[in-house]
Amino acid sequence: MTYPAALQELINEFTEIDDKMEILEYVYDLADEVVEFPVENWNENTRVLGCQSEAHLEVFIDGEIVTLRSGADAKIVQGMMGIITIAINGEKAEDVLQLKPDFALEMGILNSLSPSRSNGFRNIFDKVMSEVRLKR
Amino acid sequence: MPLKDDFPILSREVNGHPLVYLDNAATTQKPQVVIDAMTQYYSNSNANVHRAVHTLAGEATEGYEGCRRWIKNWFNAQRAILTSGTTEAINLVAYGWGRANLQSGDVIVLTEMEHHSDIVPWQILAEERGIEIRYVPVLEDFTLDMEAYSISLQNAKLVCVVHTSNVLGVRNSVDQLISLAHQAGAKILIDAAQAVPHDRINFGQLNADFMAFSAHKMCGPTGIGALLVKNDAFEQMQPFMAGGDMIESVTTSGSTYQTNEHKFEAGTPRIAEAIGWSAAFEWMSKLDLPAHHERLLNIAKWTAEQLRGLGFTVYGRHQSGDAAVVSFLHPTIHSEDFARFLDAKGFAVRTGHHCAQPLLNRLGITGTIRASFYLYNSQLEAEKFIETVQYIVERFA
Repeated sequence: MTYPAALQELINEFTEIDDKMEILEYVYDLADEVVEFPVENWNENTRVLGCQSEAHLEVFIDGEIVTLRSGADAKIVQGMMGIITIAINGEKAEDVLQLKPDFALEMGILNSLSPSRSNGFRNIFDKVMSEVRLKR
Repeated sequence: MPLKDDFPILSREVNGHPLVYLDNAATTQKPQVVIDAMTQYYSNSNANVHRAVHTLAGEATEGYEGCRRWIKNWFNAQRAILTSGTTEAINLVAYGWGRANLQSGDVIVLTEMEHHSDIVPWQILAEERGIEIRYVPVLEDFTLDMEAYSISLQNAKLVCVVHTSNVLGVRNSVDQLISLAHQAGAKILIDAAQAVPHDRINFGQLNADFMAFSAHKMCGPTGIGALLVKNDAFEQMQPFMAGGDMIESVTTSGSTYQTNEHKFEAGTPRIAEAIGWSAAFEWMSKLDLPAHHERLLNIAKWTAEQLRGLGFTVYGRHQSGDAAVVSFLHPTIHSEDFARFLDAKGFAVRTGHHCAQPLLNRLGITGTIRASFYLYNSQLEAEKFIETVQYIVERFA
């Protein structure tokens, strides 16, 4: 599928990296890309269920434009949130809803796309999508 | 030939690095003989058990019942019911024995060290029957509070306790726990899932009433386990699952049941898995398990010391008899991040609450990183593991 330009650029960068450790280091650094979601605003509604780490997010839609605010106590999980932030922030809600989580496999940041208690990315992605559907 | 060579999976690479498998408390790898036995069964002898008179059915029945003989001999047990694993075995006690023998106002004693599979079935039964559950606390030294245990036994009908903790590796004082339970008039169930991989437990001598464990934690296949039962407790059990194979006769007005273990093995059983488990027993019977256990405990103790030196908190004591399990946490690097970095370097470890949330609540944490060693692991692998841990700490702390 066609991805938003910023996400496609990121996918291209990831596909050039062979070493899994370097991929994770890059994801780790992308934790800084999230729009901050202060810990004091974290609650049961913002929690991403199924993550081993404490991960929270909130989606805002202003005139069809999506903004994701998020944070996690595990940096790699927050880095995955950073990737989703790059993918959707500033995009129209209807375009965001076309997005499939497969790009995470292309980037080499996931072993599996199947929902499970250890699949933090999938659980984050699914929560973001359900919030966009709910709030658009 | 090194023991590791018996395990085909251990020659593979993960993320460009040789696999170092340290998630053995979750499941162990399978030697080629186990894989071959299961393939051989499906290739040559596949049939249903216990009923038909044809040759294949006879071979399948012999294979399945052969596993029961291995279990009874290995553990010196009177009764061995084959289940899907430890969880089903515990549920079988809850529904097969508990429903028939426990009523409102009765007491079940558990401990804070239990795996969820030895908590949740009892919570469901307690809610259904109005049964009281008491939890024995875990002390600062990672052992059970035996004084509280003695007090909790008042009016207890059943004690359910883990032999060896899957988080801490701590082996509980099972002889004392069993003796005190019986003195109080209670039956006792031992969750031995983490014990049987390391210790050839003599169930007859142990004198517990029930003991549950799984094949896959001792080089056998997933999907099969066993419940050992003493004869008197066996006679008090009622069927939990009903259907084919567990009956003696069925008419439109009612049914009668088998009187042996088949009474609790309704439906087509796990034949290939039983045959695979037999192969695992045979393979393990050639090993000096106590010597391996001592070697692995020394590796775990060394690893724990190194981790403490690198600033980690280690949960466990690694004393004689304990399992070779090292649970640890870094003060700043999240356990999930740590496990992903380790995976990138070929090390398989487990993170999270390990299905033991009450224990982690007692320890004041939500999860740990757990490295668990088994027969094919070596000191050299532990040294490579510590080198990698050190690299991760230097890079990300």
